[in-house]
Amino acid sequence: MSVLGIELRRSAAAGAALLALAVGVAALYTAPGRWSQGWMSLTLTVKEYMILLWPIALAAGAWQGRREHRAKVGELFATTPRSRASRMLPVLVAMGASVGLAFLLVVAAGGMRIASTAAYFPPDVVAITLVGALSLVAAAWLGLGIGRLLPTLVTAPVLAVAGVLLVFFTAIMRPDWMGAILSPAYGSSPFYAFQTIDPRVTAVLALFMGGLALTGVLLLVARGRRASVAAVLPVLLGFGVAAAIVPRDEAALVAPVDPVARELVCTDDAPKVCVTRVNANVLDALTPLARQGLAVLAKMPDAPTQVYEDRRAYLIEDAPARDADIVTIVVRIDDHGGLAHPDAVVPEMVFGLGTGYGNPECERNGAVERAAAYHLLGREPVSDVGVIPEMIEEEPQLNAEAVTLWQGLQKLPAPEAMSRVTAVRDAILACQDPTGLLSR
Amino acid sequence: MRAVSTAETATTIHPWAIQAEALKVRAGRHLAVDGLDLSLATGVHGLLGRNGAGKTTLMRALATVLKPAGGRLTLLGSSVDGRADLRQARRALGYLPQHFGYYPRFTVREFVSYLAWLKEMPKRDIPAATQRAIDRVGLSAKADARLRTLSGGMLRRAGVAQAIVNDPQVLLLDEPTVGLDPEQRLDLRELLRDLGTDACVLVSTHLVEDVVAACTEVVLINEGRLVWQGTPAALAEQGDEHHPGDSPAERGYSALLRRHLAEAAR
Repeated sequence: MSVLGIELRRSAAAGAALLALAVGVAALYTAPGRWSQGWMSLTLTVKEYMILLWPIALAAGAWQGRREHRAKVGELFATTPRSRASRMLPVLVAMGASVGLAFLLVVAAGGMRIASTAAYFPPDVVAITLVGALSLVAAAWLGLGIGRLLPTLVTAPVLAVAGVLLVFFTAIMRPDWMGAILSPAYGSSPFYAFQTIDPRVTAVLALFMGGLALTGVLLLVARGRRASVAAVLPVLLGFGVAAAIVPRDEAALVAPVDPVARELVCTDDAPKVCVTRVNANVLDALTPLARQGLAVLAKMPDAPTQVYEDRRAYLIEDAPARDADIVTIVVRIDDHGGLAHPDAVVPEMVFGLGTGYGNPECERNGAVERAAAYHLLGREPVSDVGVIPEMIEEEPQLNAEAVTLWQGLQKLPAPEAMSRVTAVRDAILACQDPTGLLSR
Repeated sequence: MRAVSTAETATTIHPWAIQAEALKVRAGRHLAVDGLDLSLATGVHGLLGRNGAGKTTLMRALATVLKPAGGRLTLLGSSVDGRADLRQARRALGYLPQHFGYYPRFTVREFVSYLAWLKEMPKRDIPAATQRAIDRVGLSAKADARLRTLSGGMLRRAGVAQAIVNDPQVLLLDEPTVGLDPEQRLDLRELLRDLGTDACVLVSTHLVEDVVAACTEVVLINEGRLVWQGTPAALAEQGDEHHPGDSPAERGYSALLRRHLAEAAR
């Protein structure tokens, strides 16, 4: 019967790990669509759930940290030869290993679901996951130290609430580099599938969490007030070193891009359809739909001949210049890692009339563009609600106006109608208001 | 975590297991032990005294919980002031505090094993030593029961088990019979007699009959000083029929205390 085994069974370690595991897995599987895109999406989502996991580990540590005080064993243990540091080692290992393992198991629980569909495994995932586990270990050890220092009944619940606030506010704090050092959830908000966390940001978080963990250990084993005060030195040192090396540029801090994940993977045959490497598993499902969309657009002269996935990093990059040969589409992934909303692929390709990203400063006319697009699609316009996945509401008269315009086009000879549709596209490209071009 | 060599845990014979010279120990601001001279060798010693006599403070000092405020205290030949010596002495120490703290989620076996580990016993010896200690206090049937499920008497016996798990050379038991039923008290007395054959056992108690039945020597203190030290038979001889008390030993205890208080008042 090893002491570590006893601590694993009888301390708060197993309970904390099970709670963290249950909360983490439940949170993951409540919204699998958030992370079904791949390993980095999963890793970032679990990192985002640090707002739940970190306080659990902190509070569990605090609960465990007051055990000696609660059980009033201090006098008995003080008569034994084993040093306090040595005495605390098994509980430190038990708590740290349990919550660290719980974090890895949460990631593994998500990984089981995406293992067969995720096309790309970014190496950054390993470091981010390991530092996530380290963050939970640091929380548990810090909790142990604080629990020993303040062995009251309310310490654990107060720390749980404080932990939530700490993770949340440090994740959104300014300047960004400070949040990158302090928050175990920093950089986890997903904006695009090929997002990553800069390795330097992961490294500075590891430095800070390492310092925090050491501070927790010292608080737990400190003898006397001076030693307890000196225990803050490791976390200050960790912060200092991290602050010296943390990147300060936005490109590294704000939703940076993994260039390999963003690389295009294309069909071998024409018309070329390309998706990012991270979405390569849906290329086969997307290709016939994308080519169908190209065929619809090809009714206009000078229509695009290739389909690329939209791979703008819109937080940190401007939209690239339009390539007349290429139409871009948003690739959506469903809860199971497959292509989501396949019915929307062709309409979405055609709605822009192949004009690319567009200029938000230019005048547009939704009714005119919808009538033109549905003329190409060969059917009467309907509301975007139910067609475009994220659309939940639109002006009722917009579609009525589009239907009227569409009916007008239907009455025209086919070449004339196509000429007007093409004129609408050209007006959009020329940044001119297309109003009236279908009904002139 | 440092491995403990066999040499470090080997038993050394000392003429006096416990030696106090002009010992002073504070309990808070109060000097509860005030110039105590005491030498104890192998055997079972009963520590008697009125409430507030300094018994528990003395036990805590002997257990190295409290530092002496003056004088000299030696355990197994080592001064308790030297840190390295303290570690060596603590390996040979067993202690049951008056208020026995324990982890309620632990089983008896786990808690006794844990204490054996705290006492730096060689890892390989711990399972057998734990079982033996549990057997000796009669808790074998409850070895795998959680401490929170035990009665007060059983908890006290678990406390004795942890104290003796390392076969201590100095065993300090503060009120070990509290909560025990008459049969368990008899068993404990027998255990104490057995332990006293090769260890220095000091039992602090209010129960004179326990001392008479189990101890080879009686130590009587008052206001932190030694009042009397001798055999239980000699204690019984100190009393006469003018002194209250049911048994000869209790009469002797009362007589000694009255005489001491009268002398102190002069």
